[in-house]
Amino acid sequence: MSAVSEYVHNIKDTVSTIFEGMAVTASHFMRKPYTVQYPDRMPVRVQDTLPFRYRGILDVDLEICTGCLACERACPIDCIVIVAEKDQQTRQLLLSQFDIDIAKCMYCGLCSEVCPTGSIHHTTEFEGADYSLESLIRRFVQDPVMAYKAKKGPETDPRIAPILNRGMAYLDQWAQPGGEKPPGEEPA
Amino acid sequence: MSTLRTEEMTLNMGPQHPSTHGVLRFVVRADGEVMREAIPDVGYLHRSIEKIAEKVGYRGFMPYTDRVDYVCAMFTNQGWGMACEKLAGIEVPKRGEYCRVIAAEFNRIASHLLSVGAMAMDIGAMTPFAHVIREREMINDLIEELCGARLTFNYMRIGGVAWDLPPGWREKALKYLDHFDPILEEYNALISWNKIYVERLANVGVITPAEAINYNLVGPNLRACGIKWDIRKDIPYSVYPEFEFEVPVGNGQWGKLGDSMDRYVVRIREMAESSKILRQALQKIPPGAVLAKVVRNFKPPAGECQIRVESGRGDMGWYLVSDGTGYPWRVHVRTGSFAAMGIIQKLSAGLMIADLVTLIASLDVIAPEIDR
Ligand code: SF4
Ligand code: SF4
Repeated sequence: MSAVSEYVHNIKDTVSTIFEGMAVTASHFMRKPYTVQYPDRMPVRVQDTLPFRYRGILDVDLEICTGCLACERACPIDCIVIVAEKDQQTRQLLLSQFDIDIAKCMYCGLCSEVCPTGSIHHTTEFEGADYSLESLIRRFVQDPVMAYKAKKGPETDPRIAPILNRGMAYLDQWAQPGGEKPPGEEPA
Repeated sequence: MSTLRTEEMTLNMGPQHPSTHGVLRFVVRADGEVMREAIPDVGYLHRSIEKIAEKVGYRGFMPYTDRVDYVCAMFTNQGWGMACEKLAGIEVPKRGEYCRVIAAEFNRIASHLLSVGAMAMDIGAMTPFAHVIREREMINDLIEELCGARLTFNYMRIGGVAWDLPPGWREKALKYLDHFDPILEEYNALISWNKIYVERLANVGVITPAEAINYNLVGPNLRACGIKWDIRKDIPYSVYPEFEFEVPVGNGQWGKLGDSMDRYVVRIREMAESSKILRQALQKIPPGAVLAKVVRNFKPPAGECQIRVESGRGDMGWYLVSDGTGYPWRVHVRTGSFAAMGIIQKLSAGLMIADLVTLIASLDVIAPEIDR
């Protein structure tokens, strides 16, 4: 007798728990889906919806690069190659090569953390597929350019000032060692 | 009357098998459907991470620690950070510790979600996996906003964390937790208490407490056997002593103590506990700096140290030997998955081949963590 009642009980349990689960599934028909149809049915590009700190493919603003090589030294896998030489006549630093091997890069952010001007920075771009490894090496210097020299007061050149502001805003996101003021966060 | 002669069969499972959670290989000796034993063969995901540490230096190794266990990378980050800090005697600012705990507990929820979802999927229930992935996605969105990456976080630094909480993040995180607690109930209704599911897991792969200790199991696998051992409570680190939370242990409610169902339920309950810790941490987080001043050219004094953190897969040990130069002399990581692999051979005897998948899933083995 008890075997039979246990058998019936088990069936009852099974059916009722299945219906409980089904109820959950059914309730989800009414909810807004969390998935999006990437890439072609998005109202806005995914890149534009990503947070500011998103670590996508690196970009360099050569206008504000000081040629300090801090990023090259910080990178654990040497995917940044910079050639900077002192020009004999003008005695200024000349950047003749600035390559980043995107194929090697692991988007760790150690290079952009140490940059003094926010020149090397992560963009929100992540679609990096390409047909050859060669084209994944981003060469930022076409013709040798003069390295940026930090000025004492605020930047006066109207061409460079907005770029520098962008760089500084980027740097503000990083935690300052021992710094008291976190970016925009009200103390709890 | 002579009995029918049966022959033992040797089966190869993996390394590329869809249900083995990564690149694992088992050599299964089976008699029909019943296994005599399943011998784990590890090493397919060995990437010499410990050796890399000797080449890239202390700061440069942080992104590599993400790859030790990519499902809960915050803990590997934290372990490495803590090992370096202990050696160099660096004190992490209070807010930095809170940020670490918040990030890590979110990561624990995400890791356990994946574990319980994958377990259901391995058994054949596809729907729960979509549910947990949705929840994990929301956590990933939060973490992405915090540190810019979804999987390989590289969030922590020697001496603290790299980014403070962004504006408005706290409210978002609290809102998510409000949403998460009912979801956990809903998830339980969806699958956890489902009779078929319980029957499938109960009494499968029973580990006795003595066995668990002998085989060096850690984390949820150990606690499922009824042993209350949680590094966060027993060898407190970071700011964990400031929070109130329970350590869930298995109780054999559905079958024998230490079966697959116990391991499953411990993970479910741990998520609720993590949610509790997160609420307290988000409420109590003090203002201040998040990163201690550490010299750029970090060189800890010669010596050695051992650090233990409670990761999603249990007690994770970081052993670091320094010779006073800018590069570690030796690094060793002790992970929970490796220990869990060891017991599979013992547990598999007498199980059905189909149960092997349940067993692996219930031990929450992550392939990269086994080999490193
Ligand atoms: S993101 Fe990391 S790996 Fe990539 S260039 Fe910068 S430091 Fe190197
Ligand atoms: S990108 Fe930044 S860190 Fe790199 S050389 Fe230029 S200024 Fe220095």
